[in-house]
Amino acid sequence: MDLNSWLLNKKLVVCVGSGGVGKTTTAASVGLWAAIQGKKVMVLTIDPAKRLANSLGLEGMPPEGAKIDLSSMPDAKGELWAMMLDSRHTFDDLISRIAPSDEVRDRILANHIYQQMSATFAGSQDYMATERIYDVVSDGDFDIVVLDTPPVKNALDFLESPGRLIKFLDQQVLAWFLEPAKKGLIGSLMSGGSALVLRLLSAVLGKAFIEDLTEFMQDFESLFEGFRVRHDEVQKLFRADGTTFVTVCAPTESSTDVATFFQEELHERELPRGGVIVNQRHRSDAGTDSAQEVLGAIVAKLSTDLEDKTATSLLARLSMAHKRLTDLSAAEASVISPLRKASMGGDFYQEVPRLDTEVNDLESLRRIGHHIFAVPAVIP
Amino acid sequence: MNSVAKLLSGRVIWVTGKGGTGKTSFAAALAVVGAAKGRKTLLCEVDTSRPAMAAIFDKPADFEPVTMAPNLDVSNVHWDGALAAYVQTYIPVKRLVKGVLNNRVVRRFLDFAPGAREMFILSRIVALLDDYDLVVVDMHASGHAYSMLDITRSAARLFRSGPMLKRAQQLQEVITDAQTHTAFVALPEEMVVNETLETVERMREAKLFGGEPVVFLNRATLPSLNDEERTLLARLNAEELTVQAREFVRAGVWEDRLEQATQESMQRLGEAFGHTPVLVPPVGGGGIPRHVVAQLAVALGRQVGVSRRELPWT
Repeated sequence: MDLNSWLLNKKLVVCVGSGGVGKTTTAASVGLWAAIQGKKVMVLTIDPAKRLANSLGLEGMPPEGAKIDLSSMPDAKGELWAMMLDSRHTFDDLISRIAPSDEVRDRILANHIYQQMSATFAGSQDYMATERIYDVVSDGDFDIVVLDTPPVKNALDFLESPGRLIKFLDQQVLAWFLEPAKKGLIGSLMSGGSALVLRLLSAVLGKAFIEDLTEFMQDFESLFEGFRVRHDEVQKLFRADGTTFVTVCAPTESSTDVATFFQEELHERELPRGGVIVNQRHRSDAGTDSAQEVLGAIVAKLSTDLEDKTATSLLARLSMAHKRLTDLSAAEASVISPLRKASMGGDFYQEVPRLDTEVNDLESLRRIGHHIFAVPAVIP
Repeated sequence: MNSVAKLLSGRVIWVTGKGGTGKTSFAAALAVVGAAKGRKTLLCEVDTSRPAMAAIFDKPADFEPVTMAPNLDVSNVHWDGALAAYVQTYIPVKRLVKGVLNNRVVRRFLDFAPGAREMFILSRIVALLDDYDLVVVDMHASGHAYSMLDITRSAARLFRSGPMLKRAQQLQEVITDAQTHTAFVALPEEMVVNETLETVERMREAKLFGGEPVVFLNRATLPSLNDEERTLLARLNAEELTVQAREFVRAGVWEDRLEQATQESMQRLGEAFGHTPVLVPPVGGGGIPRHVVAQLAVALGRQVGVSRRELPWT
């Protein structure tokens, strides 16, 4: 099996990894590569820095996504789309869909706890990524969906974030909050099984907040079933045939460390592991000869019209640069070797060299795609 | 006073930047140099399930500050501890605190309650300020760091009254204090610079800066080739070369590009920050965290007149 045909059989490719390792770029390259070969592809990014838009030369992408202009690549047979997740809109859409009535929907959308929760607070973005991905995949408009994930280094918790909401909203918790509300919150603070804890919570968080929250949860109760069903569906999707998780990292110790950890986490969560892509790899072969020996004659020939010192000083610079690049290459090789060995459990392992140019246009994305898919990967 | 001196003479430094730029190493190195300057310094790692301090110092950080070197303590400000510490300030009875925190419903509630996590963690950091001259915080990557600091503003709207509102206002005061600085770590790469500039602009708009922010340009490669050398390099690059010769030319082109990227990044960051970025050349250390931090501390120490020998830990 080669990686190219492996990719073309996928429906959902989830790129995970810590920040700064070229994850967004990798997601875009994967998407472009499939699009060139005739697939209709959607790349979803939830990164707040709008990096994908950046790398595709798009300014101000609309929330429903945009088709990337591939006219500069006449051989591209498919379509490439990209979408940035705006957590606020997505959450609003979701509430609208699962609210039992327009009245409940309007009340929730107007509730200021809801507004803060959906728009401002960290975490809902992660939540919405998993929500949105379900819609995009299940709508069936695309052959392949590529998901760029938030730059987390801690855990793959964001995959479970719908679960976090479900847990919070589970019937027992709701009942606990709603029971006193039915009797009037203040009254029930003085009585009943949960009274003491609730009173303590009020002391810690403030009574007004607990009241707001109780009101919010009363409305949210009617949505619970909708949330639970979607949570189950998203979890099913992540484990479906055609879904694969690709761990992306850079050749540094901290990054490969996180990658190893992610590989283990994917395994523990029984999520389908595709393999590892090591980005930004510097390569150089150490030679024993000096720059003077190898290049002296040709440099002399090319520098006759230049200042006298130029040939000598450039040769000295080339020697230093070569040494630095060779050292870096060797250091990287030793840093990534454990990951390479560890990935021998049926996953692919692929290295992508650091390109000579910044990756900010389609052509360089294609070059990266070429390094991932057209160069034989290590597949045990 | 240069940028590093300014940072180290303040009370709080939030260290942030795009992922992979070296935030943790810079935070640790700044703390080491701060301690060497004679300031009682605390280095905090924040809400991480993958603590990094054990790879830098001799032992892992705990929630309660651990002394790693003279004047230098390190704390792992994790969620569980910050939560308990927060609840304790309002409910002085230990047994009750335990009861509240062990209540399954309360735990679930607090795990989800919007902003609670960030509020409690920031509260803990601010509470520690009383015991230290300088607190250096290894924050999350820029987007998340922004959300975290912005929480206090949202919290003021969310908690209409009560202790959380009061706490949010206190945090707001610390965040906007002139002695509180944000240090960004950037790399000479276009995307990294873009993200740094975006974050700075957002934070400025949201008034999340107390003192003026400072930017470090990590892995800055200088000086450049002169025009003649660059011409010669271009000629060489256009030649048919042996494999071995090609390796030298490739390395030269690689380094020249890094140098040009450094120049461009310096210029763009300099315009946005209103000061020249603090340049930090690539340090050795082979990617081993403690060696990297030691070398960074030497480089940063040099900027404030602290010699290698004076560093409490290298």
